[in-house]
Amino acid sequence: MFLGYKRPDGKTGIRNYVLVLPVQRMVNSVAMQVSSMVRGAKTIVSTGEIGRSSKDRRTIARTLTGLALNGNVGGVLIIGDDHYSSKELKHEEMAEIVRSTGKPVEVLDITESGGYYNAIGIGAKMAQRLALQISEFRREQCDLKDLTLGVKCGTSDPTSGVAGNPVVGKAFDVLVNAGGTAFFSETTEVIGAEDKLAKRCINEQVKEKLLNAVSEIEEKARATGEDIRNINPIPENVKAGISTLEEKSLGAITKSGSMPITDVLTYGERPPGNGLYFIDGWMSSLSLPLGMAAAGANLFMYQLGGQGMPAVSPPMPAYSAGIVTPMMYLSGNPRTCQKAGDFVDFCSGKIMEGKSSIEEMADKLLECVLGLASGTMTKTETVNIQDPVEFYLEDPCF
Amino acid sequence: MWKKEGLVLHEKDNVGIALNDLTAGNEILIDEGQTIDLLEDIPYGFKFALCPIGKDEIIIKYGETIGRAIEAIKPGSLVHVHNIEGLRARRD
Repeated sequence: MFLGYKRPDGKTGIRNYVLVLPVQRMVNSVAMQVSSMVRGAKTIVSTGEIGRSSKDRRTIARTLTGLALNGNVGGVLIIGDDHYSSKELKHEEMAEIVRSTGKPVEVLDITESGGYYNAIGIGAKMAQRLALQISEFRREQCDLKDLTLGVKCGTSDPTSGVAGNPVVGKAFDVLVNAGGTAFFSETTEVIGAEDKLAKRCINEQVKEKLLNAVSEIEEKARATGEDIRNINPIPENVKAGISTLEEKSLGAITKSGSMPITDVLTYGERPPGNGLYFIDGWMSSLSLPLGMAAAGANLFMYQLGGQGMPAVSPPMPAYSAGIVTPMMYLSGNPRTCQKAGDFVDFCSGKIMEGKSSIEEMADKLLECVLGLASGTMTKTETVNIQDPVEFYLEDPCF
Repeated sequence: MWKKEGLVLHEKDNVGIALNDLTAGNEILIDEGQTIDLLEDIPYGFKFALCPIGKDEIIIKYGETIGRAIEAIKPGSLVHVHNIEGLRARRD
């Protein structure tokens, strides 16, 4: 079905990267230098753990570890310094977890390596070793059950809930039915549509988790002192004809398809098995791709409405926020497909024109996805840029 | 034969959506044998009222509640933030 990389722990990759992973913010600069010196290396520049609650530091740790465990990563260089490590963010412990999966791991401690410039040299050699080692991986025949997809809808417009999102939902149905794994999220955009999702949870416990996540976010929205009607739907949504959050939500959830919801995961949490999962997280284009990459997504689908975007080749909301998880753009709005053709990989706009069905487009989408999974680049992958990223941190900082 | 220019997503809905940039004064086809006279311009994707909607009446799209009318809305009028409001996550 597609050609992927099979990892020692049974995970599947659709790319083969060295991940240069700075565990504490203070070592970011070394990771940036090292990754720039080795082809095929990816790194994450995080805004850090300082002044954060233990819960938020755990979220950072879970996310970083998850990235290292993603099937798209062949080998990992973990960078840290004991002087900066907190109890949640210890690079040696993280290295142990990754090593236990059989993935090649190298560890670079800055002080032990003789400080900044020496560490960069040693780190670059380590990364080179990893790059050579993982280049021996070969793509092999994989099935749909080996694939993990994540989706987010963005710059939603009235086509999102009618064409673009339902096409993704139908493709998810096929994927999950074949034993694969799919993620959807954006808790705020469940407000007003939670009853429809609750009916699909596999048991009472999962149902409760989902409803709690939604009521918590609704409470938090109220607690800010702002009225959510001024925040969400966002101005691009309103400009495109979406009037209320409920309307946006009812369109948004169609991207999850119709299969049972296996569980609700926290941001960056890896699922215990295959199936359809809801991730309790925030819609941000710089936060959600990262969280889904940490959960194990091979490919991130960014489902655009786009009616509210500029009329001529607009810049995209994100290009590489999944770090090790490539991002594909798709849209059900024929106007968006045309104006954003530089970055849109798949168009289901024929549905709005009455020339195609959701089922037909979902088949075509899966065909496109399997090509990307086998190594075809997404359009944003050709852009040589690393997005800034945002972890989904929930507590105030001090 | 007329081309369908409006779309009704669910039988319970009291709004339809425009499949094109539609102009006031035109009678448009929304379903086989079903037309509506537009009182206002309806941009692509935007909603228009299918029937008279009273103040405080619920707005239904996808067969579900998406908000309520803050004023009376005539059939064929634009339905958007100027005449409807959401009901969830509000402070009041």
